[in-house]
Amino acid sequence: MAKSPILGLFETADNAADAGDALKAAGVSPADYDFLTDTPYPEGAFGEREEPHRLYLFPFIGALIGLTVGIMLTSMTQMAYPLAQGGKPILSLPPMAVVTYESTMLTAIIFTIIGIVFESRLPAFKEGLYDTRITEGYIGVLVNVEESELTQTQTLLTQAGAVDVVLKAERISA
Amino acid sequence: MAVTEPKGHGQHAGMWVFPDAAVMTQDVGEKTKAMPRPFTTALAVTGIFFILGIVGFIARAVDDGFDDIAPWGYYMAIFSMVFMVTSGAPLVALAFRFTKSHWRRPLSRVAELFSIVGILNLLMFIPLMFLLPGIANPDAVIEGELAVRRTIWFEGPIGAPHAWDLVGVAFLTITSLTILWISAKPDMAECRDTATGFRRWLYNYLAGNWYGTKRQWNAQKAGLALLGAFYFMTLIFMHFVISSDYAQSLIPGWKDSIFPVIYTITSLQMSLGAILVVLFIMRRWGGYEGYIGKSTFWSASKVLLGVTLLWVYHLFAFFITFWYGRLEIEQNVIKYLVTDTYAIIFLLNLIFSFAAPFAVLLWNPVRRSAWGPALAGVLVLFGGLMFNIRIFVGSANAAPGAELYKAFMEHVPAPVYPDIWDVFMVVGGLGAAVFLYLAATKLMPLISIWEVKEGTLYQKWGKFIRGEYLILGKPE
Repeated sequence: MAKSPILGLFETADNAADAGDALKAAGVSPADYDFLTDTPYPEGAFGEREEPHRLYLFPFIGALIGLTVGIMLTSMTQMAYPLAQGGKPILSLPPMAVVTYESTMLTAIIFTIIGIVFESRLPAFKEGLYDTRITEGYIGVLVNVEESELTQTQTLLTQAGAVDVVLKAERISA
Repeated sequence: MAVTEPKGHGQHAGMWVFPDAAVMTQDVGEKTKAMPRPFTTALAVTGIFFILGIVGFIARAVDDGFDDIAPWGYYMAIFSMVFMVTSGAPLVALAFRFTKSHWRRPLSRVAELFSIVGILNLLMFIPLMFLLPGIANPDAVIEGELAVRRTIWFEGPIGAPHAWDLVGVAFLTITSLTILWISAKPDMAECRDTATGFRRWLYNYLAGNWYGTKRQWNAQKAGLALLGAFYFMTLIFMHFVISSDYAQSLIPGWKDSIFPVIYTITSLQMSLGAILVVLFIMRRWGGYEGYIGKSTFWSASKVLLGVTLLWVYHLFAFFITFWYGRLEIEQNVIKYLVTDTYAIIFLLNLIFSFAAPFAVLLWNPVRRSAWGPALAGVLVLFGGLMFNIRIFVGSANAAPGAELYKAFMEHVPAPVYPDIWDVFMVVGGLGAAVFLYLAATKLMPLISIWEVKEGTLYQKWGKFIRGEYLILGKPE
């Protein structure tokens, strides 16, 4: 059965953290609820789960590809058109460094941008549940639950101190 | 907006401000929309300069074409000026963000918005790509000439230097714009519901999926850190490439490992200066005094003083090496760029890039004011303009025609004064940069809302014994 989102709005961070504790105690999986904030709060401020990401892998792969392409391009060019300069070997590192450095940087940047898009789960074609009061400093606790558990979750959020609970299309004032 | 009185006592009066996070989004959103008369006047004036620049460019192209780089010296100078300011500015934001300083929060977006002017850099660079003479000597090599002129590209791998230069400038622009996008995404998302018209469409398009989840904040933080590191590495490389290809390699025999460093330091000095000028204007006339305390100017001015001292140190290091070396080319380079041909421009460069800002920033009370560091910013910007005219007009006219392929510059050329089209292009280049920046301030919030809000979580005004002081939280 598809899960439905429900959003509790909290005036203070303490109340939002309490809601997180209550959800945990009620057996809601940490992967099923999230805290929506208008500014980054310090790690673990709400007692939330750790959010691992693999962004560091993307530039590493990109840099490796760029480095390989750069070395191949410069070495193959020099071997195809050998120009002996001042007794230097045909394949020498200093002239290769400039092009190799640039190609490494370029692919690392491209892969980083791809990684950011991927890790931010972009593009999202479906509009998510949100409330503009979050921009005023309210904390949103977004929970994804079975439709049958919506009422129970709503009660739980309200008891934790939610000033408002927002469902898909309606708004229920606490 | 609802703000507390600026805090601080004694010599630190007015140093810190504590904006109200609850109304910040709405307040900054309204300021972004507002079009006060002085702003529209500035937009119109810089727009006229922009048009003059285009006229100058077309006239120069019709008169001289794109075969010879010499008539384009002033165009190169103004390209480099805009390039140095706009490429260095995002790094200022990134560097201070890396250090996790609190005072930089109001400065971040002001610095990152220069990325939009980077589009102008890219457009201005395209003609320069065609103007740069090839590495290989096009004529039969005679005695005293080189088959391949001396550049960092050595034997000239595929596309070098033109394609690699253009790709580098393009990627620098793309990276800085991506950094701006990632950094501004939370703010655009916050403003998407209150914005109207084009802004609403833009914010929905660029940040429609941002909800401020933990995963998104983590990805944003890591993305800014990674792209920031790559931006720094690409920027230094591109400063090295531009200063080598469009300055050193055009003066036969000029080999100087210190010059690219001077170029980068001048860029950082000018970009920090430009940021301080914008911050001062915002604080004094833009209605942002509740967001920008004097502490931002105070702290940034110390960095500007340090960079200014670093500039003169490297200038001296360049000079003493050439002066003591006394090779014919070294003497000619000094005569050409320092003591004879462009002596007056060099003197202005020295005064405005070092002596005057140093004299201003030396004084504690001036550093603690908002106007002092901004004044130093204006001075270093003028000094930077003189630097670019001296170096790039000099380089473009050092070795006409086949002389470029000689082993070294045998004579000291005469100075080249600007004609009317050069004046148009210089004024137009500056006007275009300011015009685009002004337009950008109406597209995106000029204050990094999420960063300033984050600052309010970690800063408060509290009592300690008998006095009241700023209390800072350091979560990392």
